[in-house]
Amino acid sequence: MQRIFINKSLCAGCKNCEAACMAEHTTHRSLWLVNLSDPSNKPNNRVALDNSGQPTPIFCQHCDDPACVTACMAGALTKNPETGVVEHNRDKCAGCWMCIMSCPYGMMHTSGVYEDTAAKCDFCAERGTPRCVSSCPTGAITLRTI
Amino acid sequence: MSICVSADKVLEKFILSKKDLESSFNRVPDQEVKCAFGMQGICCRLCANGPCRITPTTPKGVCGATADTIVARNFLRAVAAGAACYLHVVENTAANLKAIGLGQSDISLKGTRLLEELSSKLDLPGNNVGEKAVALANQVIQDLYRPRHEKMELVEKLAYTPRYKKWTELNILPGGAKAEVFDALVKTSTNLNSDPMDMLLHALRLGITTGIYGLGLTNHLNDIIWGEPRIRLAKVGFGVLDPEYINVMVTGHQQALVGILQDGLSTSEAINIAEKAGAKGFKLVGSTCVGQDMQLRGAHCQQIFAGQTGNNFTSEILIATGAVDLVVSEFNCTLPGIEPVCDAYGVPQICLDDVAKKQNAEYIAFSLAEKDTIIQKVIETAVERYKKQRPSVKVDIPEHGYDDVVTGVSQKTLKEFLGGSYKPLIDLIIAGKIKGIAGVVGCSNLTAKGHDVFTVEMTKELIKRNIIVLSAGCTSGALENVGLMSPSAAELAGESLKAICRQLEIPPVLNFGPCLAIGRLEETAADIAGELGVDLPELPLVLSAPQWLEEQALADGSFGLALGLPLHLAIPPFITGSELVTNILTKDIEGLTGGKVIVNGNVEDTVNELEAIIMAKRAGLNI
Ligand code: SF4
Ligand code: SF4
Ligand code: SF4
Ligand code: SF4
Repeated sequence: MQRIFINKSLCAGCKNCEAACMAEHTTHRSLWLVNLSDPSNKPNNRVALDNSGQPTPIFCQHCDDPACVTACMAGALTKNPETGVVEHNRDKCAGCWMCIMSCPYGMMHTSGVYEDTAAKCDFCAERGTPRCVSSCPTGAITLRTI
Repeated sequence: MSICVSADKVLEKFILSKKDLESSFNRVPDQEVKCAFGMQGICCRLCANGPCRITPTTPKGVCGATADTIVARNFLRAVAAGAACYLHVVENTAANLKAIGLGQSDISLKGTRLLEELSSKLDLPGNNVGEKAVALANQVIQDLYRPRHEKMELVEKLAYTPRYKKWTELNILPGGAKAEVFDALVKTSTNLNSDPMDMLLHALRLGITTGIYGLGLTNHLNDIIWGEPRIRLAKVGFGVLDPEYINVMVTGHQQALVGILQDGLSTSEAINIAEKAGAKGFKLVGSTCVGQDMQLRGAHCQQIFAGQTGNNFTSEILIATGAVDLVVSEFNCTLPGIEPVCDAYGVPQICLDDVAKKQNAEYIAFSLAEKDTIIQKVIETAVERYKKQRPSVKVDIPEHGYDDVVTGVSQKTLKEFLGGSYKPLIDLIIAGKIKGIAGVVGCSNLTAKGHDVFTVEMTKELIKRNIIVLSAGCTSGALENVGLMSPSAAELAGESLKAICRQLEIPPVLNFGPCLAIGRLEETAADIAGELGVDLPELPLVLSAPQWLEEQALADGSFGLALGLPLHLAIPPFITGSELVTNILTKDIEGLTGGKVIVNGNVEDTVNELEAIIMAKRAGLNI
């Protein structure tokens, strides 16, 4: 199983991971073309400042005991036993936002594209290496096998 | 709602009371996560192999450019842009002086005494005022347009002689100003110059063109047109707005352009039109540096000029009072953020110079020949807003500002005030009653602890230590709105400075006005150095542009370095990605010009450092 490891002391706050995630979830997937003024482009990750002003990348942990999955009454969120990825199935999602309220990292959000459903990190299901990891210029986020 | 804090608590409260207003103050938290590569100046996007950024594992751009080259290139580009801005201003000012001199306008020159003085100092031809004005304007324009291999002629005549010698020795005398800017762009383009030292010396050359032409000569030419400053008391803050008038807010840096409204909106015809609309007349409301300039020359436009309201970042908020009927802009700092606020309050915008064209503004190309048409358009647009929108918008003017700001301080008026020579001030410095002088200049930003917070805290600490402060730029807007430029601020000064201020009935912070007046401040310094018979770096004088904002400030700063003055900044000028460039600007350059950059983001530490420099310079002078 693979996970994204975060070393926040290396984070430069450039938000490249956010831009990359947005690009990855558009049809063209292009960093040149991703519309960074379009509010419906929402990254599944976030860079915030911690209390001391250090930029801190925040990513879905694909938790072992995911609060979002427990909270979801519709069965839209499941933990894939093989990959360990917490997956969201939009077709089952009721848009009740229970997952949004329950995730301790604030990593569930409303989809910018489909207003009535939630969205989350899909671990870049269609790529080998998550796009954010490949786009991080400082090595603050890395992919590790656990 | 979380907003950026301000040193001006009345302003802050007013912003918080406007729930629907979105201003720069609200956007600061949204933009809090910054890009380290940009901050350090190590992002290069000069070519399609980039953008390249320097990291521990990628120390060079694709082309081989090092952090030193990338940082120096970015820095020189910024200084060139800043110099270009000021040179644009002096060019327009000279063009207008020339047109007036040629008799193409009914404007009569108010500063003829200065014109006489300058034409004899500069050895210019002319048998009458008109001819002399044309000769002076021509000389400035010719210098601006010289090729780079021809030195500008007025530098030698206007610079402080020991400095001129130093610049000759360092080979940094500028050629034609525009050509210097032009070649700075060439030099920093893809795969050209890679020598940080050469680029930094070029920045100094641009600093000299900025200081002597962009700042100094713009002041002189405007003084000739609109009248020289006179010391007087003035009203500042949002409280200068009078809802019974039709209020025209001006933003920019070019009194040469908006100055036509001073007479244009005061004629009896204009007043009649205003009265018919139900108002008492028109008022020009000062915002940003052009307002500071009008305040400085306020003795010549007392009726029409309402007063200065604040600085760059108070402009969006000013419109939200509802009492502004028109915004006339001609340069920076005209924030893009004013546009939605103007829309929300039904305030039209007119722009007189396309370099500051705002998307929703109506552009009327300035030309002195079209003066009356422009004035007519301004009157009609403002009256229409007053008639149509004023009854429906809520006018809300906070109790804000001071009535007794000492203004009109310049290199000449200060000297006159002291009895015709700087000797009394020098004596006080020698006696230790005034420890030294700090020029607190430049912009206002929202990042060095908040809006004007660093500027105000540092100034208070400086005067407490008996260091007199001279201010020019948006720092003046900050300091006057918190009362530091009113005589009562003497109470905040250290014992000996307090006694002097009380006796002379002056504040411990002297208001030179707009950022253009950094030129006046530096002429003051040269006068003092002249009386003492020393060069500028020997003076117990420090500069600080604590809350520098923009490229123009970096051009001003380069002038300060060329003059050999220590220059403090609270935020680094995007250079920290290169150890070499940082070392040159903060250390090695002292061996060349005598000046250096000091970067310090802590108020207490900064004042300690500046005071230590002042004390060391005093020791150097044996005082
Ligand atoms: S891992 Fe992929 S999907 Fe998840 S945040 Fe990063 S880029 Fe987006
Ligand atoms: S969405 Fe939140 S709760 Fe769910 S797995 Fe990710 S981090 Fe855990
Ligand atoms: S590259 Fe690093 S600093 Fe930049 S956004 Fe990604 S995690 Fe943050
Ligand atoms: S000029 Fe060099 S450093 Fe700059 S983007 Fe091109 S390759 Fe990269």
